[in-house]
Parts: sequence; C-alpha cells; structure tokens
Amino acid sequence: MSILSLQNISKKFGAVQALSGVSFDVPQGAVYGVLGPNGSGKTTLLGIVTDVLKADTGSFTLFDQPAAARQRRQIGTLLETPNFYHYLSGYRNLEIAAAIKQRDKKDIGRVLEVCGLATRQHAAFKTYSLGMKQRLAIAAVLLGDPEVLILDEPTNGLDPAGIAEVRELVRHLAGAGKTIILASHLLDEVEKVCTHVAILRNGRLLRSGSVDVVISRHDYLELAAADNEALKTALLAYPGCTSVQLNGSVVTAVFNATPEPAQVNSYLAQQGIWLQHLQLRKKSLEKAFLEITNDPA
Amino acid sequence: MKQLLYTEWLKVKNYRTFWIMLLVAVVMIPAGNYVPAQVMASRDLEQAAKMLGQSPFGFPVVWQTVANISSYMTALLGLMLIILVTNEYTFRTNRQNIIDGWERRQFVYAKLIWVVLLSLAALLTAVLTAFVCGLVYGSNSFSLEGFSYMWYYWLQVVLELCLALLVAVLVKRAGFAMAIFLGYIMMLEQTLVLLLKRYAGPVGGLLPLQTGDELLPFPLVGKMVANLSERYDDSVYLLFLLGYIVLIIYLVFRKVLKSDL
Repeated sequence: MSILSLQNISKKFGAVQALSGVSFDVPQGAVYGVLGPNGSGKTTLLGIVTDVLKADTGSFTLFDQPAAARQRRQIGTLLETPNFYHYLSGYRNLEIAAAIKQRDKKDIGRVLEVCGLATRQHAAFKTYSLGMKQRLAIAAVLLGDPEVLILDEPTNGLDPAGIAEVRELVRHLAGAGKTIILASHLLDEVEKVCTHVAILRNGRLLRSGSVDVVISRHDYLELAAADNEALKTALLAYPGCTSVQLNGSVVTAVFNATPEPAQVNSYLAQQGIWLQHLQLRKKSLEKAFLEITNDPA
Repeated sequence: MKQLLYTEWLKVKNYRTFWIMLLVAVVMIPAGNYVPAQVMASRDLEQAAKMLGQSPFGFPVVWQTVANISSYMTALLGLMLIILVTNEYTFRTNRQNIIDGWERRQFVYAKLIWVVLLSLAALLTAVLTAFVCGLVYGSNSFSLEGFSYMWYYWLQVVLELCLALLVAVLVKRAGFAMAIFLGYIMMLEQTLVLLLKRYAGPVGGLLPLQTGDELLPFPLVGKMVANLSERYDDSVYLLFLLGYIVLIIYLVFRKVLKSDL
C-alpha cells in the first residue's frame, strides 16, 4: 500500500511556480525524507497533502484513497510552525487536538511526558519558549500513536539536546514500523534516519526513491605523494577514475565504483610514485546533495 | 455536529475575553431597555400612552419596542464573532484544525454554530427583557401579539453575525476586520441608505441591515415616519433579509473551501 501517492502536483503563488509536476510514492513503513534548500517547495507540498493549500493541477491519494479528513485524522502532522491557541495551556490545546483527531484524551499525559512538557502542561501556550512550542507540536503529532507522521522541520527552534531527542524519537518511531514523511534542509538529520528521499529544487522534483539509489555516494580516495602533479596524472590514467582534484596537500580521486586502495597503491608504485598518504573516504551526504541540487540540468 | 460543538466549547471554555464580552453584550440588552422604560414610566408615560393608546413598554407593544431598542445593541456580538474567527487565523489554528482532521466545511459549520448560539443568546435575553418590562411597566395582561418582531430582531442579529463572519474570513486580521465591520454597520450603511432613499426611493431600504430596521420600526415614531415615506411590504424586506443571510453564508463557504489557508 502507498501511504501517499502524488501525481503531477503543480502550484503557483502569483508569479512564483512553487511546485511543478511533482510525483512520487511513499510506501508503507518508509522514512521518507523530502529534501531541498529553503524555498524549494517542501512545505508547499506538505501543505497540499494536508489540504491547507490547494494544488492548481494534479492529484494525490492517502492510504490509496482520495484524501479527506478521515485520512488526515490517521496522520500526525507538524506543518511549518506550532499552531495553538495562545490563551490556553498546553494540556487544553492538546484536548482540542484530541477532539478533532477523535483520539482518547487519556493519551495526552503520555505524549506530554514523551516530549518533556509534563511539568509545564498547565501553563499558557503564550508563556512557552520557542523550543517548548515545538515540543508541544510534536506532542500533538504523537497523540493517539498514529501509524503515519508528517514532520516538517521538526527540530526547528530546539536546542542541541532537543534536536538529539527528536532524532532519537524519529528513529524510535521508524523502528516501530511507522511511516514517516520528514521534510528538512538539515541533511545529517535525514542521513541518519531516512530510507527514501525526494529532492526538490525550485519546485521541481530532481530525484526520488530509496536513499542509496538517489544519492549514489561512491567512496573516494585521498592521496598524497612527494610530487602531487605526477600523482594526478597517474591517477587520471587509472581505469575507472573519473576526476582528480588537488586540495591543498592532498589529491582527491573519484571513481565510478568503489575503489580498491591496495590495487591503486600497487598501480602507483609501478608508476614510480610512492604514497605518503592513502585513505578511503565516504562522500558526505551533504556533498552528494549539493552535487545534485547544483547540477544545472 | 456534537463533536464540532464540543471542540468549539473547548476553545472558549477558558477564554476570559470571550466570557466578559458575552456578559457585557447580554447585560446591554436589559440595561439599554431599562433607561427608556424608566423615562417613559416617570415623565412621558401619560403623553406617550395617549398618543399610542398605551405604554410602549406594556403588552403587546413591548415585543416591538424591546426588539427595536435591542437591535441597536448588537455590534458587540459581531465583534465577539470576529475575535473568535480571526483568532483562528492569527494563531493559524484554522490550518491546524484542518490538518488534524476537520473538513474545511466543518470549520465553517463550527463558526456558524457561533452565529446561531450568539443570536439565540441575544434573542433569549431580549424576550426575557420584554417579558419583564411588560409585567413591570405595562397595565395590560400578558399577550404574544406582535411577538413576530422578536423573530425579526433575531434574523437581523443572525444577518449581522453572518456579516461579521464574512468580514473576518476575508480580512483575517482582528483590528482591521473590526474597523471595517463597525464602520459599515454604524455609519456606512446608514449613509448609503439615506442617499439611496433620497435619490432612488425605497430601494434604499433594501440594503442588508436596513431590511431589519425596516421590519423593526419603533412603535410610535416608526409609524409616523413610515406613513410619510414610501416603502415596500414587510414581506419584501423579510425576503431580502433572508436572501442576504443565504448569500453571505454562500460567500463564506466559497472563500474557506477554495482558498489557501
């Protein structure tokens, strides 16, 4: 079953094309990262899925059904900002959320505990710090233990400890088999938990699918020798080497498949180049992501 | 519907501003009628009674009198509704309600519940006020003759609240919405009515809130003025009043269902 299936969603705000022809499927049990720089259309996309924005064209289904309030009640959603009644306490705000979601009020105590708000639950929302507001929003998401969660920048406004807690929470939920749609521009957030990603730029879907396929991150080699220029030339002649770059005192060599350091070392020795430094490195997601989003295609 | 009502109840249960405004709005109705009733009773009672054939605060005319006077004191109810609706936009809870699992139309239903509840509170208070006034200031025995003026009053309050709702969903910001709403009900419409009546005839009486005013003349003065100027049959005003309510509710639905929140 597809939890969410988007077909050709487009949306304009005035002259700005916020989304153009976005389609992808979120399978059950996936932790689906929606990635993109600020203003790439992540929140717009999730706004359409939750019916607070209307798509100009295209359609989508939730749980393989036409989206309606009934489907939304089965999804815990945090979209953009924590939206609560300022004059009510955290607890009373969750009472309202529970009433609309048609979930048992008894769960409120649990979610406040999970989000570390139990001691301040009876204080008015307007007295909360930014981080506490965000925690309350996450508590509202968890209300009724939904099988699907939509989290739009869930670590916004949180301190480092809070960020770590949310990450742990997401990992825990993912481990429990929940489907999670996570929009973020923080890549390490995504790297640590996501099974799938969709990458947006300027409202266009650049790539989508399972993380390993979308973001191919072949390992690369870092090398250094007495004569780095000769090293570069030799490496470029090595089969499978796609690019070589001199960065300061080390040479970075990228291959079209994971390189075998021992073979490279032996090859270079045959060329009369003795290495002072050789290390196999993993390309960071950030680097891979920037390559994708900066690609002018 | 029960679930919507319960949710709206949770929103206001601990909202002090709401309860204070409600108290003031409700107290204004008997208080606003008490002053003229006292004046009539003390000084001008005999004269007024002579001209009208009876006291304006005695049965059965009291229904009309109280309906007329109370119809000047409904602005606060409109402001209350504007606060309840614009709060949702300010706090962005209108989005959250939808995200959490309301249909957009349910959001409108929830606010229409307030139109009904606030207008019924006004009606109930006005009926009680008229009832007590009739007993205290009148010499005639209880009668329900002319009670239909109370229904006209209620319809005018409903229309005014619908108007407040429309302004709130269009403007979204409390201060701005209140300024527009008050400006319209207190000055703008009256000015338009006068201009239209002067240059175009009785059609001026067909502007939204004026339809209610035409249906609710003050017992004594109203009759005199009505005889002087041309006017339509009451059924025309009633039809327009109902038509405006339907039209405004349609526009509110259209706005909330179609636009981005």
